[in-house]
Amino acid sequence: MLKLVGIAGSVADQSYNRMLLKFIATHFSDLIDLEILDIDDVPMFNQSDDQTDGDAVQFLNRKITQADGVIIATPEHNHTITASLKSVIEWLSFKIHPLSGKPLMIVGASYYDQGSSRAQLNLRQILESPGVDAIVMPGNEFLLGDVKTAFDDHNNLKDDRTVGFLKETIGKFTQFVKVINSMNDKADEGWKKEDLESHGTVDTTIKGLDMHADDWVEQAAEKTHAAEGSDYVKLDRGVLTVDQLNWFLNSMPMELTYADDNNQFLYYNHTMDVKDMLAGRTPGSAGNPMADCHPKAAIPHVQQVVHMLRTGKTDLFKLPVPGMGPDKYIMHYYQAMHDDQGGYRGINEFVLDLMPIVKYYLEHTGQVLAKDPNAKADAVSGASSHAAAEKAKPDDVSGASADTEKPAEKPATDEVSGASASADVETKPAAPKDVDSVSGASAKD
Amino acid sequence: MDKFIAIVGTNSDNSTNRKLLQYMQKHYANQAEIELMEIKGLPMFNKPADKQVPAAVTDMAAKIEAADGVIISTPEYDHSAPAVLMNALEWLSFHIHPFVDKPVMIIGASYGSLGTSRAQAHLRQILDSPELRARIMPSSEFLLGHSLQAFDETGNLVDEQKTAKLDGLFADFETFVEITKRLKNAHAATAQEVRDLDWDNL
Ligand SMILES: Cc1cc2nc3c(=O)[nH]c(=O)nc-3n(C[C@H](O)[C@H](O)[C@H](O)COP(=O)(O)O)c2cc1C
Ligand SMILES: Cc1cc2nc3c(=O)[nH]c(=O)nc-3n(C[C@H](O)[C@H](O)[C@H](O)COP(=O)(O)O)c2cc1C
Repeated sequence: MLKLVGIAGSVADQSYNRMLLKFIATHFSDLIDLEILDIDDVPMFNQSDDQTDGDAVQFLNRKITQADGVIIATPEHNHTITASLKSVIEWLSFKIHPLSGKPLMIVGASYYDQGSSRAQLNLRQILESPGVDAIVMPGNEFLLGDVKTAFDDHNNLKDDRTVGFLKETIGKFTQFVKVINSMNDKADEGWKKEDLESHGTVDTTIKGLDMHADDWVEQAAEKTHAAEGSDYVKLDRGVLTVDQLNWFLNSMPMELTYADDNNQFLYYNHTMDVKDMLAGRTPGSAGNPMADCHPKAAIPHVQQVVHMLRTGKTDLFKLPVPGMGPDKYIMHYYQAMHDDQGGYRGINEFVLDLMPIVKYYLEHTGQVLAKDPNAKADAVSGASSHAAAEKAKPDDVSGASADTEKPAEKPATDEVSGASASADVETKPAAPKDVDSVSGASAKD
Repeated sequence: MDKFIAIVGTNSDNSTNRKLLQYMQKHYANQAEIELMEIKGLPMFNKPADKQVPAAVTDMAAKIEAADGVIISTPEYDHSAPAVLMNALEWLSFHIHPFVDKPVMIIGASYGSLGTSRAQAHLRQILDSPELRARIMPSSEFLLGHSLQAFDETGNLVDEQKTAKLDGLFADFETFVEITKRLKNAHAATAQEVRDLDWDNL
């Protein structure tokens, strides 16, 4: 389902435009996933007091970048849009341009019978200026005039014809979003610039070492006088010795890998021998550029995923990697890491088997797995169904394991969507055994 | 001598629009008294339910009301007037109406070659809306493009053609102010209409 964000152009306590967006979000939740973004904390735009890096603007930047499309609901003040909305747009066209190329739909509500018509026209002109560069859906003007009488006591639109027209408009917008984004995907070649050989440096790069060396860790530790053993490290939030930190990380119920924003593989929690790991890692590979850990053919796919994480197109890329038999459901998660300013700092890859969790849940709630007759092919990987996901092949991306272990059993199912028969299921309440199916888990524990 | 309020349409520290108004203040000192008005620091307009307008806004409104005319110099952000100027005008039309029938001259300066043509059209549309109803000087535009290069070290306009054009427009504005003073027949009715216009009761 399309992931959209909505902005109501008001910072007043009460706003019919916000109400309209909420109505759209709840009433058409079968068509779109609409998240409403707050603009209350965005400061007045000021060219000489740049607050682009502040939380409020960065929040919008992140949310808009990740969204498939944007809906703006605009009030009308003095025949134009509100200053609060204009200020947001100015921040988003100054040092950053998250709306550029974004499919966008304008709706609006006003007290008057003109229903924000002038503000909408004005907003269209603003959004199409080069610094903003949004792709505004043509036609399909949705004007909600006389808005004070438009909603019932439950904040639902009263008039069925209005709801019908709104639904039609939203339906057209979903088509519009898909068309524009498929054009954008073809145009976005930025991923090709991802350097998996880590030729560059970032502020944390330990310079002057051979990244390919088997003893890179020892060399790097010596060079930086790295804390170790009983040395204390201050963390957010706590203080641990390096030993304690190791015990902690090595007892995590998942395999953790750290790749920095220079695409250098710096760390993994070394708990097992490579042959026992879900995604094999060897002690010698710490320090390697990411290209070392992947077969050549896989490089473009890895580049695409890294690019998506770096540019904020997604913060979490999920990849089911079947092939270890029906008793395992291995997931590779690629989580973008950010510093306090929201800057991209690399990837936290965590790999785990979901099956024990699913089994535990079923057992303790008295349920069984059953096939969903309505399941679509991408039901499982749905959350990650971005363009790159469709292109990426599982063991390409998780390639760190490809050159080490278990390449033998290549599954015949659709690898990307993970829609193998065993995965294509949904839990359905079955006849409770001895426990109440809902409270069962707590009753037993 | 006419007394004009000159609104700097931005909160930017180094504004060429402010420079332009400062130039006019100095250059036309013999013709009119021009007082610059800053709009920086007003709270974001949030349509407060208690209808309270900040004291800074009522002060501004009083000055505008007392003035013979208003000059607004607007930058252009995203093909329109800056949010900070729109914000000031929202406050200045929220249960107070200092702009009704007030003669206004719109000018603007931009870095590029177009000189805020679109922002000025936008501002014209705003000032023409029911709660502002200003008397905007018709059929005139002063567009100062390449504004970063437009002034010398003493703050004077470099381009003689531009200077002559501004001189002419300013003289016209003074005439326009005089004419507008005679267009008072409907003023009482318009002012009453605006006071009666209450969005809350629509
Ligand atoms: C200063 C001010 C100016 C307004 N100007 C207009 C206007 O030009 N046209 C209009 O339809 N409503 C105008 N309104 C009324 C409403 O604020 C407007 O209809 C708005 O779109 C309602 O949406 P909201 O509930 O989301 O704020 C104005 C209100 C204020 C306070
Ligand atoms: C967010 C933003 C958007 C801008 N958009 C425009 C524009 O659409 N047209 C233009 O001529 N200049 C644009 N500019 C550039 C200048 O700020 C503009 O030319 C302005 O009028 C200069 O006025 P000032 O010197 O008084 O600040 C933009 C600047 C910013 C920060």
